Amino acid sequence: MKTIKRFEHINAKTIDEAASILKAGNASILAGGTDILGAMRFEILPDYPEILVNLKSIPDMEYIREEGGMLKIGALTRLEDIAKSNVVQAKYTALAEAAHRTASPHIREMGTISGNICQFTRCWYFRLPDNRFDCVRKGGKKCYAMTGENRYHSIFGAVKGCVAVNPSDTAPALVALNAKIKTNKRTIDAEQFWDMVKPGSTILEADEIVTEIQVPTPAKGLKSSFIKFAIRKSIDFPIVNCAAMIGKGEARICLNAVHNKPYRCINAEDVIRGKSINESSADAAGAAAIEKAKTLPGDRNKWKIQLARTMVKRAILGCA
Amino acid sequence: MSETKKTDDETKKEISNLSRRKFLKDAGLVIGGTTVGSMAFASGAEAQQQEKGDNAPSETTPTSAQSECRAPIELTVNGGRYRYHVEPNWTLRQLLRDEVGLTSPKDWCGGMGACGSCTVIMNGRPVLSCLTLAIECNGAIIETAEGIAKTKHPIIDSYIKWNAFQCGYCTPGFVTTAKALLDRNPNPTEEDVRDALGGNLCRCGTYQQHPKAVVDAAEALRQK
Ligand SMILES: Cc1cc2nc3c(=O)[nH]c(=O)nc-3n(C[C@H](O)[C@H](O)[C@H](O)COP(=O)(O)OP(=O)(O)OC[C@H]3O[C@@H](n4cnc5c(N)ncnc54)[C@H](O)[C@@H]3O)c2cc1C
Ligand code: FES
Ligand code: FES
Repeated sequence: MKTIKRFEHINAKTIDEAASILKAGNASILAGGTDILGAMRFEILPDYPEILVNLKSIPDMEYIREEGGMLKIGALTRLEDIAKSNVVQAKYTALAEAAHRTASPHIREMGTISGNICQFTRCWYFRLPDNRFDCVRKGGKKCYAMTGENRYHSIFGAVKGCVAVNPSDTAPALVALNAKIKTNKRTIDAEQFWDMVKPGSTILEADEIVTEIQVPTPAKGLKSSFIKFAIRKSIDFPIVNCAAMIGKGEARICLNAVHNKPYRCINAEDVIRGKSINESSADAAGAAAIEKAKTLPGDRNKWKIQLARTMVKRAILGCA
Repeated sequence: MSETKKTDDETKKEISNLSRRKFLKDAGLVIGGTTVGSMAFASGAEAQQQEKGDNAPSETTPTSAQSECRAPIELTVNGGRYRYHVEPNWTLRQLLRDEVGLTSPKDWCGGMGACGSCTVIMNGRPVLSCLTLAIECNGAIIETAEGIAKTKHPIIDSYIKWNAFQCGYCTPGFVTTAKALLDRNPNPTEEDVRDALGGNLCRCGTYQQHPKAVVDAAEALRQK
């Protein structure tokens, strides 16, 4: 096993302390460590962090509670605890299901919700050990997936020249549920949270820390669902996933792993909003969701377009 | 593997040579410097002290010297209490194998979290020791397959009875994950077991035997 290279480890006691360390230099946040430590072991980052700031040493960052008309989840809450939570399962079904379908039981026991939404892309050029591809996401000039092996890559074009996809399972659920992501600096609509920011995937500033996830309690009659297609049932990233929240004249549908950031299916929402949910209405919405989809050079990712259409359809049917 | 890549062992040797040199140079500076509870940490070989509990493995060989960037941790492994000075970049797997001397945390996927063969139980949760930092295990209660075997947990006999392994390489990872499940759920269905063991890979393909073995062990435990 390749040893993880040296770094300094600091147990932060407060969010402010963590932020000031992050501000000072080449430091990275450490939550559950399941993504960042793998990235460091295989040296895939253009700048190897000199310091890891552990957030687990900050008190009161792990909780799930309903308060003031919303569900509040502490940033360091483990995915397994979210998946198993009765209240999340009952009222925020898409999120419970997404957390349950993430990775493997071990990774869910260790991995946190903030780490899940902030994880790096899984593009294989980006992830190749020892930082071998100097791709656009690492500050280089080229996206190697654009014309290379891109069968798992974006079906909605590039963002800033990169066709990698966001691999998070919980992200589309948070968008569909109209969640907000609270940091030490501001509160961000889930929909605005992700972008192609080298080498990461969120709009967070260097010293910005996610502190809480806030999900408005869906009105009675609103239902949500999550569905995922992966090659294996467990320990596998989504090829395409989809979350939906529908009912009471409202519809929010979000795909992920199809684009650089979670992809909200506005067209599909317009088709299904206010209609009764059945095979044909769900199918029509699925077709609308992929209206703007296009393959990458080589057409290797064409199959994902069909998958996306079906995932949208089934997520909608899941809200019936 | 490229030549530049070092194995855990090589790097550990390097670190320990380095820190030993540093230790000789700085000798005296750190002796008795740090205290945790009532016990003073010494440098050199004594730094890696342990208090053996009933179930503590006897094969432990404390070795490496202390370097100034090491942090003191105190943890319980299979009922025995241990104190170490650890480097920030050591994983729990490294600590258990190289310092405590327990070889059940295996490695198959190279430490990317994708195989489950390095699983140990930490504070009741099944975790991947390859992605857990040793420095964050201060105060932790760790159980490995060795400890589970020593307590004669029914899962062990059940795995043998149901032939739930062939080469056995993945078995410690399965056994620890299954034990963590049984600790929380004394009456799991085969589906519960399949779900809980979803992060463990077996190259020999013994998958269908595990749910039977674990459900059977649960039964034995309930009758105990
Ligand atoms: C084998 C394997 C399979 C996987 N399969 C899936 C899958 O199917 N679906 C899926 O969605 N994911 C999958 N993952 C990814 C996994 O879910 C993430 O690794 C995990 O959720 C990250 O959480 P963590 O707490 O361990 O984060 P860490 O590794 O600690 O951190 C990840 C990143 O988030 C940043 N970060 C963490 N917390 C904060 C915060 N509070 N504020 C700001 N930034 C923060 C860190 O700086 C780091 O860059 C898989 C991972 C592995 C190793
Ligand atoms: S060695 Fe594969 S998960 Fe730890
Ligand atoms: S028994 Fe051989 S790997 Fe599982």
